[in-house]
This record gives sequence, C-alpha cells and structure tokens, in this order.
Amino acid sequence: MFLKVEQQWNVIVSPEKLVAKGLMLQKAIVVRLLDDFASKKANKDFGYFINVTTVENIGDGKVRHSTGDVLFPVSFSGITFKMFRGEILRGVVHKVLKHGVFLKCGPVQNIYLSHLKMPDYKYVPGENAFFMNDKQSRIEKDVVVRFIVIGTKWMEAEREFQALVSLEGDYLGPIS
Amino acid sequence: MSGEEEENASELKIGEEFLKAKCLMNCEVALILEHKYEQLQQTSEDPMNQVSQVFEKSLQYVKRFSRYKNPDAVRQVREILSRYQLAEFELCVLGNLCPETVEEAIAMVPSIKTKGRAHDDDAIERMLNDLSLIKKFE
Repeated sequence: MFLKVEQQWNVIVSPEKLVAKGLMLQKAIVVRLLDDFASKKANKDFGYFINVTTVENIGDGKVRHSTGDVLFPVSFSGITFKMFRGEILRGVVHKVLKHGVFLKCGPVQNIYLSHLKMPDYKYVPGENAFFMNDKQSRIEKDVVVRFIVIGTKWMEAEREFQALVSLEGDYLGPIS
Repeated sequence: MSGEEEENASELKIGEEFLKAKCLMNCEVALILEHKYEQLQQTSEDPMNQVSQVFEKSLQYVKRFSRYKNPDAVRQVREILSRYQLAEFELCVLGNLCPETVEEAIAMVPSIKTKGRAHDDDAIERMLNDLSLIKKFE
C-alpha cells in the first residue's frame, strides 16, 4: 500500500552552504533532504521512500561544534510503500524457478510465491519454464498475478523487504 | 510497532499508526509521480538519472496498475468511496483492485463484512455500481 506519512528528519548542512541571501539556505536544506531521502531508500517502519511531497517546516539549526555543520530539524510529508500481511496486491512475475516464482510489486523485487502456496499449479520445465494448472492457466515470466501477502521481512543490511505471498484464497491468481 | 504477529490487513489490523496514516491509491500516486517527473524533464536533460530506483520502479508500477488515468476520475473515485464509511486502507484496496462483484469485493477486503459494520451486500453492490460508472464515462 502506498502511504502518505509525515516524518521529521535532521538534515545536516555544511558551513559553505550557509548563505543567508534569499532562499539559498532553504534550497540547500531541501536539496540535502531529497538526497538523504533517496539514498536512505527504505526503513522498517514506513517501507520504501518514494517521493517527498511537501516540506512542512524547517526548525532552528544547531551548530555541531566538532565540524561546524549545522543540523536542521525538518518536518515533511512523503510517499512510501509498505506491504502488510493479509494485503492483496498485484505483481509481475520476473523469475520462474522449479520451486516457485519471484514477483515484483512497486519498489519491491523479492516477492516469493512458493509452489506450496499454489497447490493446483504444476511446474512445466523447459527453456521458458512456467507453472500451469489443469484449466490451462499459466504463471510465467511477465504475467500479472494477484496474490495475498503472508509474511514480510526487513533486511537491515540491504535496506530491502522480502515478502512471501500465496494464491490460496478466492479471486487470486494470474490476471490476463 | 505493536506485535508483528498480530498484523493482518484482512482484519484491518495494520497498526495504529497506519490506520491513521493516509493511504493513496495507485492512480493518485501515478498523478503525483508523473507530475514530479514532468517537472524534472523541464529542468534536466536526463530526468531518469535524477530519480532514485525506488521512484522509477514505483512510477512504472503505478502507471501500469492504475485503472483511472484522468485526474477528475481519480478524484471522483475517492469521493464516491468516501461515502461508504471505509477505512483509508479499505478504500484504497477497492480503488486499486476494482472488484466487479460483491463476492469479489468481500474477498479483496474481508474486513468490510466484520461484525458491527454497516455494509450489507446491497450497499456494497451500490458502491461497485457507482465505481463502474466512472470507468465508463472516463
């Protein structure tokens, strides 16, 4: 689910950017916020960081005595993407393996659908391997699948989420 | 977050902070990200280089999975769904997945049928009809 969340971050601006003229300082703070937002990529609580929509408030700066950098508390709204257990979403198959398929959905790449969670589908090996059920419905590369999230895991080192998903439920499966 | 084992979106257990947070439908996110991308195109020759991978993948995804493209239609979808006492999360799941039948809508958002809530099948049917009208006139 895409979320609009308000956050407060501390943005650090180096002394040479501290130009009092007009909006130069404000610009330096916002540019730094956007850089930090993009490079941080995601966190456990809010999911993936997609876009800063509005900067609500920039608080008073505090000088760090060791470096002369100035730290500004900035409140802003941004869009994030987080998957919840029990949520139903659509994703696109990007890899087919013997024991299941990998899907991507929004910014998330590591979404695993195990063959155990699609019991009526059988693996059909070949150069372009796929899964198929007895109604000839196919799950192969680039197919859109509607699934339910059964678990998510935050991996701190990679700053990524993994998710396990299932087709067990009504109205789930490949969509033509 | 309060007890991760407890999380279950089908029962609308997604944590206090997210129940209150504003959720966005894919089509709303598409409008916002496309606008941002157009702004970048005007100031930069290679706008794709200016955005993060997360932004790029999300933009591709919402463009592909938005049922409504026209800004007026997007606004109407939220307005219509807002009349039906839905949680933000439920509203967006319905707006994203566009179920065609009452049975499908309940399968996508089981929490709308939990005890004590005012959604009988007729109300859900009316809601789906209202939504299908937007799609037709877009």
